[in-house]
Amino acid sequence: MTAIRKSGRYDAVIVGGGHNGLVCAAYLARAGRKVLVLERRHVLGGAAVTEELYPGFQFSVCSYVVSLFRPSIIRELELARHGLEIIPLETAFTPRLGDRGLCRWSDPARTRREISRFSPRDAEIHPEFSLAMTKMARYVRNLIDSPAPDPTSWNPVELWRLLRLGRELQRQGSDGVAMHLRLLTMSAVDFLDRWFESEVLKAPMSVSGIIGTFLGVRSPGTAYVLLHHYMGEIDGAFRSWGYSKGGTGGVSLACARAAESFGAEIRTESAVERIRVAAGRATGVVLANGDEIEAGTIVSSCDPRLTFLGLVGSKHLDGDFVRQIERYKLRGSSGKVNLAVDRLPRFPGREGSDFLRGDIAIAPGIDYLERAYDQAKYGEFSERPYINAVIPSIMDPSVAPPGQHVISMFVQYAPYDIKEGADNWPAKREAFGDAVVDTLAEYCPGLKESILYRQVLTPWDMEQEFGLSEGNIFHGELSLEQLLFQRPAAGWARYRTPIRNLWMCGSGTHPGGGLMGAPGQLAAQAMLNSNGKPSSG
Amino acid sequence: MTERYDIVVIGAGHNGLTAATLLAEKGRRVLVVEARDTVGGLAAGAEFHPGYRHAGILDDTRLVRPWVVDELGLDRFGLRRREPTDLLVPETGGQGLVLATTVKGSEGLSANDAESLAGYQAFLDRIAPGFAGLLDRPPIDLVDTGAGDLLRLGLAGLRLRRLGRHDLMEFLRVVPMPVADWLGEWFASDLLKAALAGPAIYSTYSGPRSPGTNANLLFSAARSEDPVAGGAPALIGAIERAARARGVEIRTGVAVTRLVIEAGRVRGIELAGGECVATGSVAASCDPRQLFLDLLPPAALALSLEAELLSFRTRGTAAKVHLALSGYPQFSSRPGRLFEQVRTGEALDELERAFDAAKYRRFSERPVLDIRFPSIETPELAPDGHHVASILVSFAPYELAGGWTESAREGLYRAVLAVLDEYAPGIERLIVGREVLTPADLAERYRLSQGHLFHGEHALDQLLIRPTPQCSKYATPLAGLYLCGSGSHPGGGLTCAPGALAAQAIRSNDM
Repeated sequence: MTAIRKSGRYDAVIVGGGHNGLVCAAYLARAGRKVLVLERRHVLGGAAVTEELYPGFQFSVCSYVVSLFRPSIIRELELARHGLEIIPLETAFTPRLGDRGLCRWSDPARTRREISRFSPRDAEIHPEFSLAMTKMARYVRNLIDSPAPDPTSWNPVELWRLLRLGRELQRQGSDGVAMHLRLLTMSAVDFLDRWFESEVLKAPMSVSGIIGTFLGVRSPGTAYVLLHHYMGEIDGAFRSWGYSKGGTGGVSLACARAAESFGAEIRTESAVERIRVAAGRATGVVLANGDEIEAGTIVSSCDPRLTFLGLVGSKHLDGDFVRQIERYKLRGSSGKVNLAVDRLPRFPGREGSDFLRGDIAIAPGIDYLERAYDQAKYGEFSERPYINAVIPSIMDPSVAPPGQHVISMFVQYAPYDIKEGADNWPAKREAFGDAVVDTLAEYCPGLKESILYRQVLTPWDMEQEFGLSEGNIFHGELSLEQLLFQRPAAGWARYRTPIRNLWMCGSGTHPGGGLMGAPGQLAAQAMLNSNGKPSSG
Repeated sequence: MTERYDIVVIGAGHNGLTAATLLAEKGRRVLVVEARDTVGGLAAGAEFHPGYRHAGILDDTRLVRPWVVDELGLDRFGLRRREPTDLLVPETGGQGLVLATTVKGSEGLSANDAESLAGYQAFLDRIAPGFAGLLDRPPIDLVDTGAGDLLRLGLAGLRLRRLGRHDLMEFLRVVPMPVADWLGEWFASDLLKAALAGPAIYSTYSGPRSPGTNANLLFSAARSEDPVAGGAPALIGAIERAARARGVEIRTGVAVTRLVIEAGRVRGIELAGGECVATGSVAASCDPRQLFLDLLPPAALALSLEAELLSFRTRGTAAKVHLALSGYPQFSSRPGRLFEQVRTGEALDELERAFDAAKYRRFSERPVLDIRFPSIETPELAPDGHHVASILVSFAPYELAGGWTESAREGLYRAVLAVLDEYAPGIERLIVGREVLTPADLAERYRLSQGHLFHGEHALDQLLIRPTPQCSKYATPLAGLYLCGSGSHPGGGLTCAPGALAAQAIRSNDM
């Protein structure tokens, strides 16, 4: 695994071997830098990891679908050659009690037939909605694929960029501009209410706005994330929106192999305990085993709180910056439950498994989702949560023994701060797991009897196991005040930090969390652009 | 039909009267028609029990904009400001807080919170001019941006940049935040946070955890002046005198039933009873949805505009309760003292739970109350020694499950009484009369869509585009028809700004 090195000193040490750390490493190595990646766990991937927790079953433990992985990264790092294979999601199924539910298919005609069972009018409008959203998404893609604009700068380059963003927005016509303003500020439900009447359709559509946030579908600001689904479409569904073959860890491994092919060195079971700072400058890292590694540049792919308050230490930072990091919101709100089952789950009213070749949303109504949120607000996990489940083994038999299956469930809400205190999560873990299984089993009789193994991850577990502060899967909430030029702190949205030679490349930086790889890529570009050296010094 | 009026203003509320007065210059003939028997709309006082009057459904006169007062010359018509009064935030089994305009004058704050409150107010004072500047000028049309809009956008940007990089960043950060998160960054006391958060969620479809509610907090904080002596009725009295002095004709008790439209142009209005009044221009201070959907002939509007109007959110969530009291109630947190304003809610979660009910189309079992006793300043509102309590009740949704039946109304009153009794035990013995106005009552009595006191929700999207992209600058697609009420920029409340800004727009467009 390790490439041969002439000297022990590295141009860049990257803390954390998640997908962003690995993408960043690959880009730096590709530009000829000597790069070392240090991962605390025994496996690479961070929250994008595959593990065999039960013999014969490969679990995508945390992140379970590839959302917006940037096509430019796949191309530039030749990830396909390094083993990346993404299987597109074909369906979105919403079961309903006493009914065959709603399935949206990649075939628009089929989707239309399904929706018209609930509302012919909605079925009529649905394609128009998709088209409008795709147009919007095309504009937003500009923001994801470039560093965050800075509206407070006087620099002519920045002003020009702002002006250009404004002009491109105007080119979308007045309807487009109005829609953007509304997407930015409205709640997912209010926004969808403008288009659709059927709650059977609106409920599962609205949930994409709350994934990983501590908000409800009626909370303003949740509409914007609806765009993400359509962003996948324009990137080309076959590359950016789906399962990774062999599990989500496949994405990380492909990035790792690419990085290594460019000469990067990667070490697992190498926990970084702190980042060494002398005279306002990062000089190296100290490992848990006491080893010290020097480097010209240190890059942290960990979340901002862990990076600055944990690895660096507030004594090296000025008070105002520390306050900004302290108030940065990370309230984790979701859990994962992964199952190994001995047969395919059965949903009454539907035969076969065609309708399961995508995701399954337990989102039977707006009030249901709001009630789930209300419980979380007051410090409880939702007894009847929103669940997004996938059964990757249907499309990728390599992850489970023949005839048997893996069910990977994303569950919201599971607030980090339960009223008993986060440290009491271990005592509630199985109760939470039971609530999730009970919920799914209502729609899926016989589920409980088919379970061979169950893994329950609470936000507390995610913090412990994956180093995600407060279990936040996005390294910080994706709320308006924590995006763009404010992520993670005002004036520090360009991957640099107040510590010289220390950079950030994780989901806590622009454009944020999700399996995109964009922060890692943009951070590497920023470093390479700064005097041609990865050092800001 | 001969044109006897250059312009007819629909509605004699604070915005309608403001617009009419500012339009009645240079001999222009202006008529105001009001469906109710009195002028004032939501700002009008009324007798709700024999011998007891309230001082307006909307009664926060601190929002009235000074520049509008100047333009109207209201000083000459008897408008005076007075010292703001203290606010009591009662607490079960404790002394609660008394919030004055200064931190020093406030009582019950911890040393830390007192220091934070000073910093908080200093920040608000710094950003107030920039923020108020956005709200005191015509809206910047972000949708159909013309050269003028770009210039104004640029100027607004420059003004904001004057805040300095730090405050500007902070301003941009805090505007879209949930009020709970922002106040949480400043203060430790639950009581203080709840008291400050209240105005940000009253009459909205949000709880303190909803993003964007901080904009409402800044909205009122950045524009708070001294209140008007005599309250909303005194404000209305002054504007009415100003209007009449300029020759504005005001007819009350006449409802407009229809606008006469010919070839996409306003030609006149038709009144109940069949009378037609010819005019080339109409400025409507009524709620925009009522105007467009009820007063226009069928097919006068493009379908797209109709769809936009139907999506303009007007979910009323507040009720009003007026109490006739035989004496001032004793608040056990501060017995023996008279407070003109009392605000309940002991923690942000209590406010949030009160909102939760509205989501499921129920009224809050434990509502949060914003209580005013206008009879302290104006004893004539009640018999000697008696008092009037005017209570804004959150949350009570217009769309109540099961509808607003008599028993639902009684249930809401009981819920309000239970909260009152907790802080002022025995208050029920003082009650000699009452009026409970549910959102359904408000909708009917004041012709408000879904009983919304602001003619439309104050949410970020509806503050940026108000009420629809085509009608956001007071003009409408129908020539000669303008909006001049709370459904337009900068929104509801007793600011008089929509009326004044609409008058500017009408003067520059039309006349």
